[in-house]
Amino acid sequence: MMILPNVQNALEQLWSHKLRSLLTVLGIIIAVTSTITVVGVIQGFTTYVAEFLQGLGTNAMWVWPERPPGEAGKRLGRIELDEHDVEAIERGCPALARVSPLVVRQTAKLRYGREEITIPIEGCSAEYHAIRNFPVNVGRPFAVVDVERAHQVCVVGREVLRKLNLDEDIVGDFLLLQGRRFRVIGILEEKGSFLGNSQDNLVLVPYTMALKIYPSARRKMAITAQAVSEKAVPEARAQIVNLLRRRHALSAYQPNDFNVLTQDEILEAFNKMSLVATVVLAGIVGISLLVGGIGIMNVMLVSVTERTREIGLRKAVGARRRDILLQFLTEAVALSVVGGGLGIALGYALCSLASLHPQMVDVVVPWWAVALGFGISATTGVVFGLVPAAKAALLNPIDALRHE
Amino acid sequence: MRDKPIVNDSMAAPALDPATPVIRLEGITKEYPMGEELVRALKGVDLTIGRNELVAVMGPSGSGKSTLMNILGCLDVPTAGRYWLDGEDVAGMTQSALARVRGRRIGFVFQTFELLPRQTALRNVELPLTYTGALDRRGRAVEALERVGLADRMSHRPSQMSGGQRQRVAIARALVQRPSLLLADEPTGNLDTQTGDEILNLFADLHREGQTIVIVTHEPDVAARCERIVRIRDGMVESDTTTEQPDALP
Repeated sequence: MMILPNVQNALEQLWSHKLRSLLTVLGIIIAVTSTITVVGVIQGFTTYVAEFLQGLGTNAMWVWPERPPGEAGKRLGRIELDEHDVEAIERGCPALARVSPLVVRQTAKLRYGREEITIPIEGCSAEYHAIRNFPVNVGRPFAVVDVERAHQVCVVGREVLRKLNLDEDIVGDFLLLQGRRFRVIGILEEKGSFLGNSQDNLVLVPYTMALKIYPSARRKMAITAQAVSEKAVPEARAQIVNLLRRRHALSAYQPNDFNVLTQDEILEAFNKMSLVATVVLAGIVGISLLVGGIGIMNVMLVSVTERTREIGLRKAVGARRRDILLQFLTEAVALSVVGGGLGIALGYALCSLASLHPQMVDVVVPWWAVALGFGISATTGVVFGLVPAAKAALLNPIDALRHE
Repeated sequence: MRDKPIVNDSMAAPALDPATPVIRLEGITKEYPMGEELVRALKGVDLTIGRNELVAVMGPSGSGKSTLMNILGCLDVPTAGRYWLDGEDVAGMTQSALARVRGRRIGFVFQTFELLPRQTALRNVELPLTYTGALDRRGRAVEALERVGLADRMSHRPSQMSGGQRQRVAIARALVQRPSLLLADEPTGNLDTQTGDEILNLFADLHREGQTIVIVTHEPDVAARCERIVRIRDGMVESDTTTEQPDALP
């Protein structure tokens, strides 16, 4: 029997049992829908995170003091990272191109006129803009002299302007930051939000000035730095670790009393997350396919029994075993592929629905996920359609024609 | 996968010597196990049916009549003996080869019609052609339906037709391959007398046009319309009578 009449026949069978077919392919629909949705979301997030990491800077890394977990950590004395450490890193790590100290506080009071807001503050050096790819596009960035002399100047993010109902004319004007008068010298370029958090909601001040506002930060400074090249990132990391361990007089068996995080490591952490999501997906898909496949097998077995006389007749008028096998296999595959198609449509719908949420990333369904959806549904049809189709093919035409 | 398409009728009706019998059975036996016992349904049947004969096969139930019909129709293979259909030995053929013989040389007509309920008359008649890969399936199906007088019912489904019409569709389906043998199993069993008569008239017409027909029946009225009656009893040919009634058919 030729393929086309088979497919036509299969679709007619499907259509004549609409409800039964729909219920049968529910498992396949769920499997394909979850494949499409999860792949779409992971893809969306991957693109998003890649963009975010780009925005964090080029070959950037962060260093901050941190007590290591467990007994070994408890036995360490004070956990400190001070200005001398920062200076030593600036001088002693040839793999680093730029270094900026960081003094970060999440809740600073910022006041203009009668408006007062609470805002994250970052004390940094003039190198900060270059490390973080976060340039000033109105006014000017910090100059070296601002940092050295601890001038009371600040650079603000765009979100600050929105919150205080200010425009770009604020450059040159004064704001009250933790009760001190700061002159606004520049406004940062808009960076957008990440996972619903605005990255433009911050105030930058020279770190020397920040240390005056928060004297306790002198012993708990952090660093952001930039390696000379992408290849130099591991080398730079090793240099920082060696230098700080030496300076903190840590012996070989003691853990680091600080932490170094590179962009690659953030990406790695994210990749681990998406791997977990993928594994969970594979589990859901596997179970739904099994359930869906058994459903298809069941319905096909019922169909073979119901149509025993039809099979007998087809054999009487010249159908060979392989013709009958192909006919029922085509029906099983048609059933599962229609399920796969519905799953793909549903997956697309869910993805576009998810994208409507303002804090959600743009979910992009790659073409290969669609191919995968069709592939797994068709394979399920073949695998689980084989037993019923073989049963039909092996029917004895005489018995089949006599079947009541 | 697919056999070569039939381009002309040479394969459906092989260029044979008209003297070659359509059916030649020699010492056909059929045994099959039923529980512990071995049932001997046929015990050496010899039978020859020539071209353009109209034969009734009669016999009480349990006589082996059905077994004989299954073997004649290549639905079953004999335990021993030889069977030539159109001069071709089909007794030792594989399942696949038998299916092909059924598709090309034998047209079945059943008591219960066996039409596919969801498909139109035309699609039902086309069915055998889909298995032989014939070209112009539609044209040939239309021709067959016209031959049985259902030109105006082609797009009807079986449920929209009367019993007689359904059986006509089934006959059209049996004829569409231009078979050597039309094998009918109680073709009027599910029809009232008048409709049954119409179907028998159709068989008579086909017979006049040269079709070889074997009707398996237990109804004497039906057998009386045939020119030759073969009676089966206890797995053997009990009698084989030819009644000369060339013009007895209406």
